[in-house]
Amino acid sequence: MSTIAGGRAARRQTMRRIRPRRSPAVPLLLAVWAGAAGVIWLWWNNTPSIADDNSKILNAGRITGLLAGYLMALVVLQMARVPALERRVGSDRVARWHAMSGRYTICLVLAHLFLTMWGYALQSGKGLGGIVQQTIDSVNQLPDMGKAAIGTGLLVLIGFISIGGVRRLIPYDTWYHVHLLTYAAVFLTFWHQLSTGNDFAVEPAAKTAWYGLYGSVTALVVWYRILAPIRLNLKHRMRVEAVIEETPGIVSVLISGQKLHRMGAEAGQFFRWRFLAPGMRLSSHPYSLSAAPRPTMLRITVKAIGDHSAALRDLEPGTRVWAEGPYGALTAGKRSRGKVLLVAGGVGITPMRALFETLPGASGDLTLLYRANSTQDLALWDELAAISQERGARLMYAVNSPEGERPDISAESLRRKLPDIDRHDVFMCGPPGFAQQVYEALRGAGVPARRIHHESFEM
Amino acid sequence: MKKSHPMRRVVLATAATVSGIVLLLSLKPASDPAAASAAGGAAPQQTAAGQESPQGGSASQTGSQSVTGNVAQTQYGPVQVRLTLTGDKITKAEAVQAPKGGTSDQKTALAIPKLNQEAVAAGSADIDAVSGATYTSGGYKQSLQSALDKAKAAGGTSGSSGAAGASSSPQAPAAQARIVTGNVAQTQYGPVQVRLTLTGDKITKAEAVQAPSGGTSTQKTALAIPKLNQEAVAAGSADIDTVSGATYTSGGYKQSLQSALDKAGG
Repeated sequence: MSTIAGGRAARRQTMRRIRPRRSPAVPLLLAVWAGAAGVIWLWWNNTPSIADDNSKILNAGRITGLLAGYLMALVVLQMARVPALERRVGSDRVARWHAMSGRYTICLVLAHLFLTMWGYALQSGKGLGGIVQQTIDSVNQLPDMGKAAIGTGLLVLIGFISIGGVRRLIPYDTWYHVHLLTYAAVFLTFWHQLSTGNDFAVEPAAKTAWYGLYGSVTALVVWYRILAPIRLNLKHRMRVEAVIEETPGIVSVLISGQKLHRMGAEAGQFFRWRFLAPGMRLSSHPYSLSAAPRPTMLRITVKAIGDHSAALRDLEPGTRVWAEGPYGALTAGKRSRGKVLLVAGGVGITPMRALFETLPGASGDLTLLYRANSTQDLALWDELAAISQERGARLMYAVNSPEGERPDISAESLRRKLPDIDRHDVFMCGPPGFAQQVYEALRGAGVPARRIHHESFEM
Repeated sequence: MKKSHPMRRVVLATAATVSGIVLLLSLKPASDPAAASAAGGAAPQQTAAGQESPQGGSASQTGSQSVTGNVAQTQYGPVQVRLTLTGDKITKAEAVQAPKGGTSDQKTALAIPKLNQEAVAAGSADIDAVSGATYTSGGYKQSLQSALDKAKAAGGTSGSSGAAGASSSPQAPAAQARIVTGNVAQTQYGPVQVRLTLTGDKITKAEAVQAPSGGTSTQKTALAIPKLNQEAVAAGSADIDTVSGATYTSGGYKQSLQSALDKAGG
């Protein structure tokens, strides 16, 4: 695999100055909280008094409804693939935020529905038992409530199929395409907020703010999920160049294209790939670059775990490729000015391989620890050895003993191998159990949490 | 990478949300002095002593006095009207209480200012219901009537001419026939509008000015409307039976009939 290794661009990157970048997560979270406070203030300002229990229920319904409407926009925004989120905060972290806030929003929606209908039922003298009848009446009588009912139904469906146990039962593509219905659900539930929401009827400024919020989220989604990928793919016109088996079960796909170095991709990042081959058009999957991008060539390295990754082996050269990205924050920008330890578990080597090649640093600053089941499974080993020689970097591996015994990865063993480990930045990629184990060992060896950089797509 | 317990997060989020909402709700006062002006759309220059002034007799006949009507309970909450009268004339009407919460807020915001204007213009409780806010309008009229009654009682003899109009008897002489047209009620098949002829309080004639037509609707209208007209005259109210096979038309008819009766001051 010498077609991809040792490019000039990669070598140039190793000489760059180290410029640590701060993640914008904290200011973003502060802005989110400020917005929530604004929404509560809107309610507070438009509610002079609460006379009785019935009004208390209705007002609780209003608060939950307002918060749900606000969060709904943010939940969609988190998946708009905005570069600041994907590349600076990290796709994995944003995806976890999305899952968390999505669940919370659905709970708020259900609370809003229940409280409001209960309040209306009480108002018309029906009591808690009449809540179903009241819901039917309200859907029939109030403006935009039919739409809202359908939208809420969709949200509940989407929430249901995203519950861990249910999600594992259905194919990823099915789950993904049902999940796209969220856009329809948000659109359908939007209108009743304005037409029946007291705060929007009383306060025209609130209406404007709501249009602004949903409008800008829509614009971001349209730009970054639709138009930007179209532009990217028209410009770079990527095709499969070759498929190479690295080790049993792990293949590399070489992708050619035009001016690929202009895509702004960095080592450690990934794209969402869609191969326009029969049976693969409908699904796109995230795979990390396993080498620094070259002007005419990209490479991904994939382990055959699911149907999609297994099918990659049979890709014909010349197959058109549709890519979205680059995404991911596990890049050189994460590190501070010190030595770096890269830890890879199994196929987690892919981003580590690219970082190993390009991370700025002098001879002796860089160490790569590669964990695999056996020496046979050490994919890309020859390349790694070549890079380590060229850069004066340390390369270590840990595999199971012939009897199947797992290697010792603990605070002590790490400290033995790297006595100054507590002065390293650590980049880590691997299966969740492995990552957790290494994380604890690193913490035990004195590495501060803020210097352990990790990407995990487990929810 | 920190170890997180999903259940702990769920419990924390739920507890924080519930306690936050309960805190917000409990921080709001049970009644708000500014509510009257907010609901009535008028400045709160009236004193709270308004209700006592008729009994106290402090207000002279020519000076302005303020009277608060009884609370009228409606399906959506209480309605209470406060009037400012100069002599016998209503110079200002405002709602001290009005339905709140959910869509009621919106309806109140729409209906109360209209009702206030109507009350000042009519100088009596004989005002039109605001469509879409029938219950609130009904409650408003009740409370307005009671306020006028109080003012009349306090005003004594000199209030005879003006306040008489505000009493429950209709302004029109009993023997004279009146024609009242109800509001248009929209149904799925088209608009329905009812015109009544009243002698005193009695409906002497009911007819449909508008009714659904076209296709099977023409046939149904031909069957249903005469029956509904008869029923309206017989019942003397909007409490009439639906003609089977013409549910929507009957519903619209009843709505328009009710609005006509409301207009007639029933």
